[in-house]
Amino acid sequence: MFELCSLASIPLFTDRRLFMTTPPPLTLPMTAQAILAAWVFATVLIGFVGIIWKRNLIMKILSMDVMSTGVIAFYVLVAARGGFLAPIVTGTQAGAYADPVPQAVILTAIVIGFSIQALMLVGVMKLSRDNPTLETSEIEQSNTP
Amino acid sequence: MNTPTIIWIALPLFIGFSSYLLPRSNRFFALGMALVSMAYGLWHIVAPTPLTIELIDNFGVTLVVDGLSGYFVLTNALVTAAVVLYCWQKNKSKFFYTQTVILHGSVNAVFICADLISLYVALEVIGIAAFLLMAYPRSDRAIWVGLRYLFVSNTAMLFYLMGAALVYQTTGVFAFTAVQNAPPAAIALLMIGLFTKGGIFASGLWLPLTHAEADTPVSAMLSGAVVKTGVFPLVRLALMTDNVAPAVQLFSMGTAFLGVTYAIFEKDTKRMLASSTISQMGFVLANPAVAGFYALTHGLAKAVLFLLAGNLPSRKFQMLQRTPMMRWQWLAMTIAALSISGMPLLSGFEAKALTVQDLPPTITWAMNLAALGTAIAFAKFIFLPFQRPDKSEKRGAQLGFGCAIGLLLGGLVLASGQHLETYSVSKVLMALGTLASGWAIYGFWLRRGLPKLPTGIERFEHLIGGMSLMLLLLLGMVAA
Repeated sequence: MFELCSLASIPLFTDRRLFMTTPPPLTLPMTAQAILAAWVFATVLIGFVGIIWKRNLIMKILSMDVMSTGVIAFYVLVAARGGFLAPIVTGTQAGAYADPVPQAVILTAIVIGFSIQALMLVGVMKLSRDNPTLETSEIEQSNTP
Repeated sequence: MNTPTIIWIALPLFIGFSSYLLPRSNRFFALGMALVSMAYGLWHIVAPTPLTIELIDNFGVTLVVDGLSGYFVLTNALVTAAVVLYCWQKNKSKFFYTQTVILHGSVNAVFICADLISLYVALEVIGIAAFLLMAYPRSDRAIWVGLRYLFVSNTAMLFYLMGAALVYQTTGVFAFTAVQNAPPAAIALLMIGLFTKGGIFASGLWLPLTHAEADTPVSAMLSGAVVKTGVFPLVRLALMTDNVAPAVQLFSMGTAFLGVTYAIFEKDTKRMLASSTISQMGFVLANPAVAGFYALTHGLAKAVLFLLAGNLPSRKFQMLQRTPMMRWQWLAMTIAALSISGMPLLSGFEAKALTVQDLPPTITWAMNLAALGTAIAFAKFIFLPFQRPDKSEKRGAQLGFGCAIGLLLGGLVLASGQHLETYSVSKVLMALGTLASGWAIYGFWLRRGLPKLPTGIERFEHLIGGMSLMLLLLLGMVAA
């Protein structure tokens, strides 16, 4: 596609035998896609429920991470609709390749997501000095006017 | 045309980080950045030739600058400039100015976004910068309030991301225009993210605590400019597509009523202002075509009120009724409160008149009723006692504060007179009638005090759980 052209200079990616010897890449059948999508949505839901259910603030943050894992997986799934070969310009027709746009987008979101998580955990460290159990309801009660 | 825009959008990040190298002059840099944005915003209001910048290739990453963006950018610029002036003599650290400038830049970025992904990035940067400003005092309460804000907004943004993926799956692009052909689920997911960021209806219940507990200049910045970053994309989407507008209009009414109810019952000055922000966001959304002007008048007035409320002897209205404030504080506060209540000759009147102009009659009446509520709520500020200034009071110490208030009120006064067509006898009488009846209701019944509204619904778990309910509600509404 576009910026990935520069990768073509790396020998691994230009080795055409890689594509010749392997059988033509498959796309996912519809049912498999639906099942995967169901698992992905289940992950998002479990994470979301965890945010409400878990009492400990750290566990809440981890639940949010589970939820964001689900969202990331959803982007990967959307990208893999047309196939899962890496989209690299090699000169020959390589077959069904994955859509690089959602992957590029979710890469940004992953970086943002983990920086926010790190920030939140620093906040939790500070809070844990006065609230060693990190029970959210307790923290909330003592810090709401 | 493209180059100034790109320089302008990158400048705050450059200034923000490099001001660490020149710690003495960072407040000058921050003020300069706000002035640059002010000029840029004014330029696009005066000469509204829409400018579109598209990323090469075909997945719809687009920036659009037009008159609407101009008003929002100008609001952000004036509020930031006022906050910097307010902090001028307060020895704020370089960290504070860095975060303020980065927040300013990312808020600007939202106002020119026309695609889902640039918007996502800008909103997340805003979340981080706002958290850092909120948690800056590093007390337990500040950290908790910041953490709660970041948690709620990040969870909402995860829903938003899923919506963006669904839009891409269906249409192959991320541009706002693609939302036209998106499935209902995608629209509901996108809207829940933006509703939460913009404090719309039940999704905005995180806002009173957050805006009230933040430091005074941070509150002014959050309520004056930052909260509009959730509203602006909704306005843009409502203008660009047909399938978002009906739900947005319906929720704008709900928001206006919910916020104003909270504001009437509130006994704490800052919480009352924050609740009123929710209600005013409803007004901004009610008529997307004139949202820019409304946002400008609200942002200026609300920033004045927050800056002043932070400097009163108490935060409780009950205490303030017994301890008079300075006369100039009362005067500035009253001008801002009158503008929000829709007093003719102030720009708030024109904004309100423009907003209800072309709406269906039922919504016009609902909005007028909400305006009555606003008049009742702000009567609490207007009828507070004041005293003559002491001779012994040092004038120089509050020069920055005075400049900030002067800038905001000056903007509020200068902005009026732009829409003289709104001045008809019936509209002026209507506005005066609303104000008078609001004050009468306040004076006769409510002055003695109202029961306290329960705040249980603002607990963290309820905020997150409420998100799922709002999502279902939105889904039902969009699919219908």
